[in-house]
Amino acid sequence: MSRRGLKYWAIFKTQLINGFAYPGDLLARSLSIIIFLWVFLFLWRTTYRAVGQERIAGLSLRDTLWYLMLAETIVLSKPRLSSTIAEAVRDGSIAYLLNKPYNFLLYQLSVGLGDSILRLAFNALAGGLLVGLTVGPPPPLWGWPLTLVTVIAAWLIDFCIAATIGLTAFVTEDVAAFEWIYQKVTFILGGLLIPLDFFPAWLQAVAQALPFAYTVYGPARLFVEPDGGRFVTLLLTQGAWLAALGMLLALLYRKGVTWLTINGG
Amino acid sequence: MTMRRELTFLLALWKANLLSAMEYRAAFISQVIGMMLNNAVYFAFWVIFFDRFQEVRGWGLDEMLLLFAVVAVSFGLGVYLFGNVMRIAEAIANGRLDYYLSLPRPVLLHLLASRSIASGFGDFLYGLICFAVAGRWTPDAVARFVVGSLLSMIVFLSFLILVQSLAFWMGSATLVSAQAANALLTFSLYPITLFDGTAKFLLFTILPAAFIGAVPAEFVRTFSWSTLAHLLLAASLLLALAVALFQRGMRRYESGSAIQVQV
Repeated sequence: MSRRGLKYWAIFKTQLINGFAYPGDLLARSLSIIIFLWVFLFLWRTTYRAVGQERIAGLSLRDTLWYLMLAETIVLSKPRLSSTIAEAVRDGSIAYLLNKPYNFLLYQLSVGLGDSILRLAFNALAGGLLVGLTVGPPPPLWGWPLTLVTVIAAWLIDFCIAATIGLTAFVTEDVAAFEWIYQKVTFILGGLLIPLDFFPAWLQAVAQALPFAYTVYGPARLFVEPDGGRFVTLLLTQGAWLAALGMLLALLYRKGVTWLTINGG
Repeated sequence: MTMRRELTFLLALWKANLLSAMEYRAAFISQVIGMMLNNAVYFAFWVIFFDRFQEVRGWGLDEMLLLFAVVAVSFGLGVYLFGNVMRIAEAIANGRLDYYLSLPRPVLLHLLASRSIASGFGDFLYGLICFAVAGRWTPDAVARFVVGSLLSMIVFLSFLILVQSLAFWMGSATLVSAQAANALLTFSLYPITLFDGTAKFLLFTILPAAFIGAVPAEFVRTFSWSTLAHLLLAASLLLALAVALFQRGMRRYESGSAIQVQV
């Protein structure tokens, strides 16, 4: 690993170790996933009974619940990046971070990744236990590594969007409203609350033309129905979105830093 | 006489909060509009759901609109008028009650109303829009909506005071309170008919989400003395319990006498 890479690896490792210092906190946070999945269990069990079909839009009750488990795990494990960056811009501490010998965005990426990994493991464990005990065993094991790769790509796409929102603080100062709206758009068009398969066809097409579906729906759907072809298509689409959003983020960052200098930092 | 004095005090606090928010008008408006949009996008889930499944155990889009109307108005008004309700545990743990104790006003009331959460006003407006869209514009339905939402707000505030007062005994109850508030809101926004057995019992007792969403929404739909009695009983019982627990906790309160400035 290059010296530059080692620097970010060290930041990532420090953050990861930091997370181990508060296991109680991690466990308590995992309660959220239990609450959400418990509500979903009641909702979808009742719905499947009411419809009287084994499968709806190709998904069984077991598929739907395991899909929601992974979708919730991905979303609940994300760091609150937008508000962290916005806060640094607002209180001026970004000026202190900017003169350090690292790239501000790569620093945030390493910290965020270090924060997310433990949460991801705890959430998946707690959610998996509940779903496994109530609707049956998880999808085939061989699909798990493929899913993990797409979860990482999904996390990176989300990082680009969240950091872009955070950086708008250079102009707007308060980004809370943008953050809520992005969060709720992910809930619906990302497929967090309901798999896109249950959408009307026109809305499914709209959702799949946007990046949000590849931050949640893509990996969660691959998880319940692993398939080589689906994996390759998903990864390529994720790669394309990552390139586009990554460029937008880099551009905005360069502009934002100039703006900050004009204001005196 | 005392009631009137406290009411005047409350009105003065709310006025000060509003004036303070108006100093940052753009941020206030963006939070209000942002929260309304946020809620609208969240409600889209139910539009999609009922477009596909029509109804689930007697609940359809119309019922969900009324449920969202009541919960959004009660939660929005609650956090807008009594914004510190989300920060009681933090205030106890950080010794911030010293400030309120040094003034000749009821500590709990003063603490609760000293802060206003701007986005709550967005929730409140969103709730009104939901009610308007639900199309129950008769004077008696409006009256039931006002009564139901106010009682729901009392249940919501009381439950949060109860949970956060645990900080007097636990030290830090911030995470527990956040999870409790999260669970309360999540469960109150789903049709009550989904739950049965133990789950339903829990939602009427330990986690009184039914009295924040389903029961007041049912009361808005159709008047019934028994629903009103249940709501009144739940609201008054929880409020009495919350105030009693907070007062009891105050006897255990201690701080490092840190010098703090209230801004």
